[in-house]
Amino acid sequence: MSDRVIHVEELVREYPMGGEKVLALRGLTLSIRRNEYVAIMGPSGSGKSTLMNLLGCLDTPSGGDYWLNGQEVSRLTDDALARVRNKEIGFVFQTFNLLPRASALHNVELPLVYAGVGSRERRERAVRALTRVGLQNRMHHRPNELSGGQRQRVAIARALVNEPSLLLADEPTGNLDSTTSEEIMRVFSELHAQGQTIVVVTHEPSIAAHAERVVVLRDGKLDSDTRNRAAA
Amino acid sequence: MLFSRAFEGVGIALDSLRANKVRAALTILGVAIGVMVVIAMAAAITGVNRSVTEQLEKLGPRTFFVFRYFQGGLNISDGSDEMSPWRRNPWLTVAEAEMLRRVPGIRSVTWQENASGPVSAGDVSFSSVNVQGFGPDWILTQGGTIMEGRNYTALEQAAGAHVAVINDKLAEQLWPGLDPVGRRLKVFGEPFDVIGIYTEPSSLFGDNNSPTVFIPHATFVKVADYWKGWLMFAVMPGPELTVPEAQDRVTAALRAYRGLKPAQENNFSLVSQDKLLESFDSMTKGFFLVMLALSSVGLMVGGVGVVAIMMISVTERTREIGVRKALGATRREIMWQFLVEAATLTLVGCIAGMLLGGALTLAVNKLTPIPAAVPLWSVVAAVAASTVTGILFGLYPASKASRLDPVEALRYE
Repeated sequence: MSDRVIHVEELVREYPMGGEKVLALRGLTLSIRRNEYVAIMGPSGSGKSTLMNLLGCLDTPSGGDYWLNGQEVSRLTDDALARVRNKEIGFVFQTFNLLPRASALHNVELPLVYAGVGSRERRERAVRALTRVGLQNRMHHRPNELSGGQRQRVAIARALVNEPSLLLADEPTGNLDSTTSEEIMRVFSELHAQGQTIVVVTHEPSIAAHAERVVVLRDGKLDSDTRNRAAA
Repeated sequence: MLFSRAFEGVGIALDSLRANKVRAALTILGVAIGVMVVIAMAAAITGVNRSVTEQLEKLGPRTFFVFRYFQGGLNISDGSDEMSPWRRNPWLTVAEAEMLRRVPGIRSVTWQENASGPVSAGDVSFSSVNVQGFGPDWILTQGGTIMEGRNYTALEQAAGAHVAVINDKLAEQLWPGLDPVGRRLKVFGEPFDVIGIYTEPSSLFGDNNSPTVFIPHATFVKVADYWKGWLMFAVMPGPELTVPEAQDRVTAALRAYRGLKPAQENNFSLVSQDKLLESFDSMTKGFFLVMLALSSVGLMVGGVGVVAIMMISVTERTREIGVRKALGATRREIMWQFLVEAATLTLVGCIAGMLLGGALTLAVNKLTPIPAAVPLWSVVAAVAASTVTGILFGLYPASKASRLDPVEALRYE
């Protein structure tokens, strides 16, 4: 139990749609251990976005349970979920989602602001995170002064700065060319090698190939769960 | 920690103001106008109050007045007897004033009536100059000094001589650069000899700036065309009496002189400076309340502008809100951010309004005799009011932002 970062059981998520209920997830059970590198795949409509929102504590399930790092989080209030996200989860989005008017450093500091970390420590930790992704020379640039790959590195630094138990990436290379994609995936592999638990949601097999385990969803259910020999 | 977040909020707010200059300027304008009105009005009223107080102080704080009728505030009459209580009171007379001068303990009594009429000298003529008819000792009760020449004597006063003291303003207009003493001028068409130049203490509503001619009261009643029946006395008690004691003596003397029975009410009014100030205060207070109501309408308009710009801001930054929530911002933190932004908007408006109000005050100071001055309380009130406006009107957009669903917000294009 203690080495499971994620454990979901019989997870159900339904959406009301024009008087009817649409089931996006129909009873999914899944465990992810510490330091695993998992890719979640599936065609559109398979429920992978729904799952990623639930795993990221952005949304709560209609049924079932979710233990994140040993804590039951499926029935928490909005603000409690915000605290969990702040402490336990680092997000990397397809569109980077950096604040456009803030410097890279300030963007990376943001989760620490919400964690209530003092400004000096905040700065130190943000600098360390940016150094970890190789952007120590770009700290005072704004997002529009950075390339796509650099922006995604800033986003990764931001995701890491709170030392989360889970790095959750949603199509992290969807807006990048293939060379830059490879570069970003190398960063992920390095982080994994350093002990970081990573979940990547993607529809690209080439990206999923970097993970050591691939979970495929179909119609809101687990379709397959395989070890990836090449990456392992 | 709350502080650093507040500063971040102010920074974000200023950023978004910079990014949307015209929109922000229009919003700020509403708040600024409201604040400007508050500041300028407060400054003007403070100035008027101060000038009244100063003038009364120059009179000597112990001088009090006898009027035919006095009531604080504005008097409204439709011309009927019951709406015109002053008609029940007989006119005050010079004889009564002379009688009061002899009351023991009273140092001096002067009497006064005034009018506005034509004054000319040579080719220069003015159709409406302030003409004051004063009894003796008027310099004593009125304050100010005779700079050149002399005042009219008791004899000239009693004889109704055609002698005039003019103020420096009138002298300047009739004979610029020349010595007016000994020259001749016409008041209400009658010739007068100028015997002295009078410099007034600064006084209310620009009387110090308006040209004035002072003539003996006995002469005034013969030559002037004026509204009769409103002779007033200024009474200066001697040092051995307190003001209430002196008022008691004057009241008793006047009642005895008029033969009033004990059951009858006074048919004249005694007004101390305190009472005059009080009545003046109540008038300016009413005036100020009206202005306050008007400027709060201005602030309300500004507030509606704040709602509008904040709603747009929230919509535009839906995604940013989603990101902040994903990174761990709670509802309260999002709310705080947008409230700070709204408060910053109104505060900038407030500062602009204060600058405009200050400029207006300076202009009033320069262009009118009112010594307008911005009182500290109005600055505090303006800052408080606009901050409250910002927070009050920012509340709805901020709470809307704070309740956004992070999943929806992150998906927003």
